[in-house]
Amino acid sequence: MAALTVTFIETDGTERAIDNVDAGPSLMEVARNSGIAGIMGDCGGACSCATCHVYIDESWLERVGAPDDIEYMMLDMVADVQRDNSRLSCQIRMREELDGLRLTVAPLPGY
Amino acid sequence: MASVEAEGLVKGGCPVDHGAQDHGAVLAGATLKDPAILAHPNAYYAAMRAEAPVHYDEKLGMYLVSRYEDLQKVFADPITFSVEQGFKHIYGGAYFEEFKAIMERDGGGFFPDAIMSDPPYHTRVRKLMESAFTAHRVKELEPRIAKVITDFIEGIADKGRADAVEDFAVPITIHVICEQLGLDHFDAAKVSRWSQAVTAQISAMQDHAAMVENAAHICDLQNYLIARMKEREDNPREDMISDVVHARSPDGDGAALTFAEAVSLVRAILIAGNDTTATALTNLIFILATQPAIAQQLKENVDDERYLNRFVEELLRVEPPVRGLSRMTTRDVELGGTLIPAHSMMLNLYASGNDDPNVFPCPRDFDVNRPNVGRQVAFGGGVHRCIGLALARMEIKITARELVKRLDNLTLDIAIEDITYLPSVATRTMQRLPITFTRRTV
Ligand code: HEM
Ligand code: FES
Repeated sequence: MAALTVTFIETDGTERAIDNVDAGPSLMEVARNSGIAGIMGDCGGACSCATCHVYIDESWLERVGAPDDIEYMMLDMVADVQRDNSRLSCQIRMREELDGLRLTVAPLPGY
Repeated sequence: MASVEAEGLVKGGCPVDHGAQDHGAVLAGATLKDPAILAHPNAYYAAMRAEAPVHYDEKLGMYLVSRYEDLQKVFADPITFSVEQGFKHIYGGAYFEEFKAIMERDGGGFFPDAIMSDPPYHTRVRKLMESAFTAHRVKELEPRIAKVITDFIEGIADKGRADAVEDFAVPITIHVICEQLGLDHFDAAKVSRWSQAVTAQISAMQDHAAMVENAAHICDLQNYLIARMKEREDNPREDMISDVVHARSPDGDGAALTFAEAVSLVRAILIAGNDTTATALTNLIFILATQPAIAQQLKENVDDERYLNRFVEELLRVEPPVRGLSRMTTRDVELGGTLIPAHSMMLNLYASGNDDPNVFPCPRDFDVNRPNVGRQVAFGGGVHRCIGLALARMEIKITARELVKRLDNLTLDIAIEDITYLPSVATRTMQRLPITFTRRTV
């Protein structure tokens, strides 16, 4: 399988480039396996907790795509930090087209 | 969405004002064991948050965690703050060995709760359960759940009066979860008794006679579930029992649950969601009957999906069914300025976290427009965050929507001072809630 790269920017500005990512798993799983700060993934990818919230780099928005209705409703629950480029990373599966993707972790309160 | 910039809002203050409190006086000698505090706990929570955010309640023998910020620290460290040790400490009480022997003799086996565990074991078990509970899966179930709920509301609409607990919230919840699990022809009264028997094991309040009686109910429950699971081993169906029996790890290693784990999980799914969701439905009715402005707003926005989702979340924030759940420390640890020794029992006060004004300004106001309403902790947080949350939200949402479409003039048929609550530190549950109503005609 192709080895892909994703770069997460943590809330304190630290850039973490993750290499050797396989196609298939969700970006939340990729982040959790690499210990990216601020991606908790409490609900395990059920689109029900918004602890895997990221901002997609503008230049990647089109390729990543927009949230569906269910995901949008969950993002609306954290409207205080929601932006036009918000996504829940558990709802995005890694695929070849996303090789090189950059995203920023949205802030979580208190963690 | 309706505007909630209500008139009469005091600038800089909260429309619902609970008055300045002398926190020191509220805390002195007080305990969460006190039935009066259990019934109306918010002043006690506020006093703790202000004076002693991690407070040792001597009579209860537990450290109470009251601030939102400290709860997040507990969520982030499930090894130091152990569910498994806390659960073992409480489970079965003084008669544990005898209880276990009864299970092995009459109940098909003793099946420890696989989900009441710590990582990494918990991670594996939880992953195998998760696929049955995603928001997308629950969305597909919406039409069936809606039918169960509307049938119930139709069934009482012309009666004019009911007990919101016995006639409504409890049976609806049992019907929905049995339908999800795939238990047809169940006896709702029996499920309710089983539920109480399982919950009693962790209340640490039962005497010997009660333990023996509850053990018999749990044997009955386990034998019933085991038979349904066996039926599905060779013939899987479209239901949650089949999901659990046939769960395989998505990592491709084919890992499955042991039979004992699977029994404990089916039992947990049947029981964990019952009292909690029924309490949420009772709280929904209480709010609609006592806050007409909110009932009116719901009526006006009943077809707005975004409003409904926010309404449900705010209901759970203002009146969380689970007030607190326990943990045990596995090492000495500092939290909120208090040093907690290893092997201490703690109670995570989710209800106090939801009432914390640093996160939710004017916390006693019901405000669907809160920008951070999704941060509420009625479902806990971290790796143990409620697995049934999407299903619970859906049930509450459908009930809210169908209720205001069909019933009008919802009024309490009991004085607020006369409402009594279950004597439990874990949930805040009304024992009965008599109501009157009319069928909606327009
Ligand atoms: C409004 C309704 C509900 C509320 C308020 C609620 C609340 C909670 C809370 C606070 C926890 C966290 C436990 C902890 O911190 O130790 C939890 C866990 C859990 N809930 Fe719920 N719950 C609800 C409905 C349900 C339903 C419908 C189900 C199943 C169908 C369910 C199954 C579970 C299970 C299995 C766990 C354990 C998860 C784990 O430890 O990984 N709950 N719930
Ligand atoms: S992990 Fe819960 S919404 Fe993504």
